[in-house]
Amino acid sequence: MEQQLELLQGTLDLLILKAVSLGPLHGYGVLLRIQQVSGQALIIQQGSLYPALYRLEHQGAITSEWGESDNNRKAKFYKLTTAGRLRLDEETEKWNRMAGIMGTILLTAPGEA
Amino acid sequence: MKRIRIFLSRLLSQPRSWLRAMAQRNRLEAEMEAELASHLDNLTADLVRAGFSPAEAGRRARIALGSSVVHKDEMRASLGLRIFDELAADLRYASRRLRRSLAFTAVATISLALAIGANTTIFSLAKQMLYERLAVPHAADLRLMAWTSDARHGAVHNTWGEYFKLPGGRAGSSSFSYPVYQQLRADNRGPNRVMEDLFAFKETGMNGTIAGNAQRSQVEMVSGNYYGVLGVKPVLGRAIAESDETESEQAAVAVISYGLWQREYGGSPSVLGQRIKLNEATFTIVGVNPNGFTGAKSTQQSPDAFVPLTMQPVIHPEGEKGSVLIDTEEWWVNVMGRMRPGVAEVTAQTTLNGELGAAVRATMSVKPNEELPVMELRDGSRGLFTQQHTFAKPMTVLLTMVGFVLLLACANIANLMLARGTQRQREMSVRLALGAGRLRIARQMLVESLLMAGLGGAGGLLLGYFGGSLLPKLTENAWERNDFRIHFDWSVFAFTAGITILTGVLFGLAPAFAAAGAKVGSGLKESSQSVTRRRRGLGGKSLVGFQIALSTLLVVGAGLFLRTLASLNSVDVGFRIDHLLLAEIAPPQKTYGPGKDIELHKRLIESFSRIPGVEAVTPAWVPYLSDDTSRTGFRVEGKTYAKDEDDGAYYNVVGDRFFDALKIPILNGRAFGPQDTVTSMKVGIINASLAKERFPGENPIGKRFINHHFDDKPDVWITIVGVCGDTRYSSLREEPPPQFILPFSQQTEAGGGVAYEIRTTVDPESIVPQMRKAVQQQDPDLPLIDVRTQQQQIEATMQTERIFVAMTSSFGMLALALASVGIYGVMAYSVANRTNEIGIRLALGAQPRQVLGMILREATWISLTGIAVGLTAAYFLARLVKSMLYGLQPADPVSLISGAALLIAVGLAASWLPARRAASVQPVEALRHE
Repeated sequence: MEQQLELLQGTLDLLILKAVSLGPLHGYGVLLRIQQVSGQALIIQQGSLYPALYRLEHQGAITSEWGESDNNRKAKFYKLTTAGRLRLDEETEKWNRMAGIMGTILLTAPGEA
Repeated sequence: MKRIRIFLSRLLSQPRSWLRAMAQRNRLEAEMEAELASHLDNLTADLVRAGFSPAEAGRRARIALGSSVVHKDEMRASLGLRIFDELAADLRYASRRLRRSLAFTAVATISLALAIGANTTIFSLAKQMLYERLAVPHAADLRLMAWTSDARHGAVHNTWGEYFKLPGGRAGSSSFSYPVYQQLRADNRGPNRVMEDLFAFKETGMNGTIAGNAQRSQVEMVSGNYYGVLGVKPVLGRAIAESDETESEQAAVAVISYGLWQREYGGSPSVLGQRIKLNEATFTIVGVNPNGFTGAKSTQQSPDAFVPLTMQPVIHPEGEKGSVLIDTEEWWVNVMGRMRPGVAEVTAQTTLNGELGAAVRATMSVKPNEELPVMELRDGSRGLFTQQHTFAKPMTVLLTMVGFVLLLACANIANLMLARGTQRQREMSVRLALGAGRLRIARQMLVESLLMAGLGGAGGLLLGYFGGSLLPKLTENAWERNDFRIHFDWSVFAFTAGITILTGVLFGLAPAFAAAGAKVGSGLKESSQSVTRRRRGLGGKSLVGFQIALSTLLVVGAGLFLRTLASLNSVDVGFRIDHLLLAEIAPPQKTYGPGKDIELHKRLIESFSRIPGVEAVTPAWVPYLSDDTSRTGFRVEGKTYAKDEDDGAYYNVVGDRFFDALKIPILNGRAFGPQDTVTSMKVGIINASLAKERFPGENPIGKRFINHHFDDKPDVWITIVGVCGDTRYSSLREEPPPQFILPFSQQTEAGGGVAYEIRTTVDPESIVPQMRKAVQQQDPDLPLIDVRTQQQQIEATMQTERIFVAMTSSFGMLALALASVGIYGVMAYSVANRTNEIGIRLALGAQPRQVLGMILREATWISLTGIAVGLTAAYFLARLVKSMLYGLQPADPVSLISGAALLIAVGLAASWLPARRAASVQPVEALRHE
């Protein structure tokens, strides 16, 4: 297995938005979804997840409500709001541009510039 | 577009989420707990499924998640709660610290509270006395007419009302004759007028019968346009209008003050249409003034009733003709007006001056050498503003002193904060070393300072609030109603509280900044190694020196006023002041004309004398030591007088038993007796000073003089039949003046109010009810006014002095307390810092006595420096209040030396404990110390 990567700074919010955009999730579910989709390639500090969730909710990008989890326990489910959807789009676009630019720069061969 | 929507949604969401978090603290806490717990459960379950034992799974899950306390903190921070969490922690920590050093907290808060409270009260008082405006719309537009002229050769000879002397041999007044007022008003008409309509008023005391009670009433007689120009609308009924200007008693109307309405009529609307009697004339109440309106004369206390000026001849006959409305010689009425928009002040004054000159020439005969009065337009927004002359100086002194107290409290708080901050240098270093941010530490100190300042401010608010109702108690006397109340002034409170609190905060922060600037290590290293003194305490010491200087100043000031009061109390007034009752009766001249009034007084003397416990009764025109004076010419037979020579002497007109009643010795000749009647030879008695002044080396008995007072009557020679002892006259502060005394029994008229002086064998106040009954039997509408004992009267004239003593001694005490706290604090700190050094000294053979002396010497040096500065300042400042002192010089050695001695003693006492502590240091322990 490839070595796990530390999360790039500032990307956790984007990952959370993406994770909950696929359907309402509780905190642990967000963690599982990210790890699952990434193929266990990312290390996420479990503790830092909750402050990020609270921050996003505080900013109105996600909203939460208490419900029943799979094992019939009370859990807090987060889902994306309209504002969150807009933000996800915008950040995704920004990320793609950044990744493109970074790629172009890093692929530059000697003598090309 | 997208960005704006995101931004907007954030803007809307954040406050909502923040509010929810703030409002539902407990719920939020529970939710966070639940969420983290469920995470842990899920993780554990997954780990168990992956094959770990439940215990191992739980352990791994807890490690993976990390500390839930930290996470919760960060989650709260995500919601924007961090600053509040930290502030709450700061506040908890600060209050714990303040609770732990209770003595420090108490001293700091109490001194803050006292300084803020005292300053708020005194500054509010000053503001009210000297800056408050009349409670009328646009008071700033009001102008008061006044005039000045040459004091000796002015065209105006008779004034009834205020008359002030000016430098350069000039004098002036704000009184006008009614005909001059009428002409000024007539001239000031039409499109070219320089002011809006002029109005006139005159305030005076009268005998009122209001709601069935005979009482002394202040009455303002006002012109018909008074209410219109002032713009005052009654709260009940109507105002006085031009149509009320009448001399007929049937149509006479009055508007009463709000205070009288509440006091006598219980605020009932049925007051309208009720009748009141003022000097025997009946008025119908048609209106009630708004609360706070005090008339045009003064901003302090409202007259009880307002009546049309035209009623003057009926209710208050004055001057030779009775009516001063047609009298051109008597200047008495006050005139005010409003500025017209667009007219310059100078233009108005010049025009009015010309009109005044013309009016004077038209109404009076002006001699060629006499100067016409010169018009002066004065600010009328504070009425006549007579308190300016009486209060300006005492107020300045009080304000200065209370200002020193404020400064002292600031110094004290600065000193306390500095000493504390320095003590906590180590704590700061430790916290810095543990990773606290410098700003965080500064904020912590700020919260602590603010908490203490808040406590002090609250105390000050309380004191200032109650001080406002306490202070007027000092100005009360037993026999006069006093409506005066100091309004609590928020802006003044904000100012004083702001200054003290700012000081506390600044000096509280200073150590924090010092700590923040310091290298982390130095604070930790420094504390034990150095043996020699550090010059750290210098800031504290100069602050303490400053405190001592201020205290010396205040203590010496208190001493000066205390000694003044003592000298005034020990003055020999020349007559017995105990068991002597004073009361006044002012029979209205309409009912009691010349002759009739004398009859009334004779009957009153008789009925007063019959009251059990009364030893002697005498009427007197001038009750002594009550600021009353009567002065007239005294020309001895056979002597010639130059034209401008001052031949005046003070005099009094008294009853037969006067000398018995006051126990004034007759040094030569005889006292008055029953043999002196209207028809017998006119007699008089002079006092020793007048005898010495006018008859040096001669026997004055049998000599004759004329009394200038009756200039227009044929000369009546008065024969001197006796010489009496000297007495103080109008004021306790003035040496007994030359004085002559005439018998009441030989007067043809009493001319207004007469004082009664009654010597009793019982408690003088116990006979007052019987006296009132005796007066009622003569005339139910006649009030017995200003009933007081001679002692109360004297105390009242010393009111300013007593207030000063009360104020300055409490300021002085406060100063001493603050200074001793300061010295104690600085010395205790210095000893604590020098424990090592002292231990070494003792180990090397110094005696404890020497150490004790060393510490005391250090404290005494601080004291001495402060005292020297304080005494110098006191010496110069005392010269400015010379006129307020009595029986001593500004450089009064007793006050200066005792003040200095007191401060030295206090300094020694305050440093005794720290010195003892230093002397009892055990060398071994001291060296092991830290």
